[in-house]
Amino acid sequence: MTAAWTPVALARDLPRLGVMPVCVDGIDVALWRSASGRLAAWADRCPHRGMRLSHGFVRGEALSCIYHGWSYGASGSCLRIPAHPDLEPPEAIRVPVHRATENNGVIWVALGDQDNTPPALTGLVPLRSVTVQARAEVIRSASGLAIGADGIARGHLASIAVAVLMQALPEGATVLHVLAEPADPAALIAASRAVEALRRAAESKGAA
Amino acid sequence: MSGDPILDEWYPVALVSQLGPLGRDTRLLGQPIRVYWGTDHQPQVSDANGRALPVTCRYGHVWTCPGTPSRPLFDIPEADQPGRRLVDVGVVRVKCSPLRAVENFLDIAHFPFVHTDILGAEPHTEVGRYDVQIRDEVDEVWATKVQFYQPQAAKSAAGGITTEYMYRVPAPTVAVLYKTCPPRPGEWDVITLFVQPLEQDLCEVWPWMALFDDTTSLTDLIHFQQTIFVQDRSILENQLPRLLPLDPGMEIPTRADMTSIAYRRWLKRRGYSFGAQLVAA
Ligand code: FES
Ligand SMILES: [Fe+2]
Repeated sequence: MTAAWTPVALARDLPRLGVMPVCVDGIDVALWRSASGRLAAWADRCPHRGMRLSHGFVRGEALSCIYHGWSYGASGSCLRIPAHPDLEPPEAIRVPVHRATENNGVIWVALGDQDNTPPALTGLVPLRSVTVQARAEVIRSASGLAIGADGIARGHLASIAVAVLMQALPEGATVLHVLAEPADPAALIAASRAVEALRRAAESKGAA
Repeated sequence: MSGDPILDEWYPVALVSQLGPLGRDTRLLGQPIRVYWGTDHQPQVSDANGRALPVTCRYGHVWTCPGTPSRPLFDIPEADQPGRRLVDVGVVRVKCSPLRAVENFLDIAHFPFVHTDILGAEPHTEVGRYDVQIRDEVDEVWATKVQFYQPQAAKSAAGGITTEYMYRVPAPTVAVLYKTCPPRPGEWDVITLFVQPLEQDLCEVWPWMALFDDTTSLTDLIHFQQTIFVQDRSILENQLPRLLPLDPGMEIPTRADMTSIAYRRWLKRRGYSFGAQLVAA
């Protein structure tokens, strides 16, 4: 249950009209946000000729593939094939769509049909995301953070209360999405430096 | 004949003009080979066991065949036409299937999106009907009457024009493009893509040109072609699956993809599977 939602990015790192590749349980996902702010997480592969959709571009409420410009609307169905402007694209041309949601400034993606919601992170604000070349267990033991019932690592970094969300990447890397209690800029900079120190500690531990 | 349709083809492995005194250690079809100057001052190629492979020097490049050539190297008669400039562009390494590199070269629908404002531009995205054939008498794939609007069709074209093209696949890893030649109506500029398959998912691409263009500097001609190809590389290295699917399955072709459909069918018929995915996945 708790593994169903994967944290993939801080919401502020995906502006409107933005698209980025993310990885969920080893699956490549194109994460994008429309002009109106709608969030979407799709299979990162264009049904036409297999180009990664995360290299595409967003116009209005549609994502277009960078290779031949086929565009896909909110449901993942193909809206337009520029090589054949008068053709109504067949219904069958469709990109597989995953569930995406945003809360407390974090974007989460679920591959299956989940009824549950991602864990609540009330009272915390996004600090930063950082990629660490080490597995989650190594990072946990290097951090000294405790794992709560919701599976989230919590504790203190530079005396600031934090929650650290972990997103596994292939080949043993992990992205940390760190949230912190609201604090003055100097304290948040110190916490951010502590995240950097944690990264170095985990990587040297993992390498040892 | 070795009888293997993959081994019995000719492949480009070096530019004659850039083969240095130390030769070139490279790979072909997953095996190491060496290209070097022989005692007779001609390029030679040998495999890992030191066995000499057949060599042909043509179109600026050294060609070899790891098996027994099933036919002579294909002919490009324009290469001998007086007045053409023959341009050795150089090499670009691409982390993709050699067959994907050829297929991309045969594709025009991507021009407005990948070569924006050079070979195409929105809203001129429509690909009209064109003719595609597998010409059995020469065993080649041909696409003719291909037309497309281009903002800057060639280095020698000042503004936008509708350009006509013909595409030809004379060997599994070779594509030849004939395109309207702005300074010489009635003639075709020839631009080729010679692909050296290093591995199933790694290739080196050697573009080569035979043009009627006396005004553009060689540097500009090479730079133009390299710019185009670097744009293509960003596509080719991000297509999934890595190998070219020869069976219909997870890809959805349209009428604009008729050349690609014919190319895949022709590869399958010849049993050419290096860089290909044979079962629908
Ligand atoms: S591969 Fe996406 S539009 Fe062609
Ligand atoms: Fe291209």
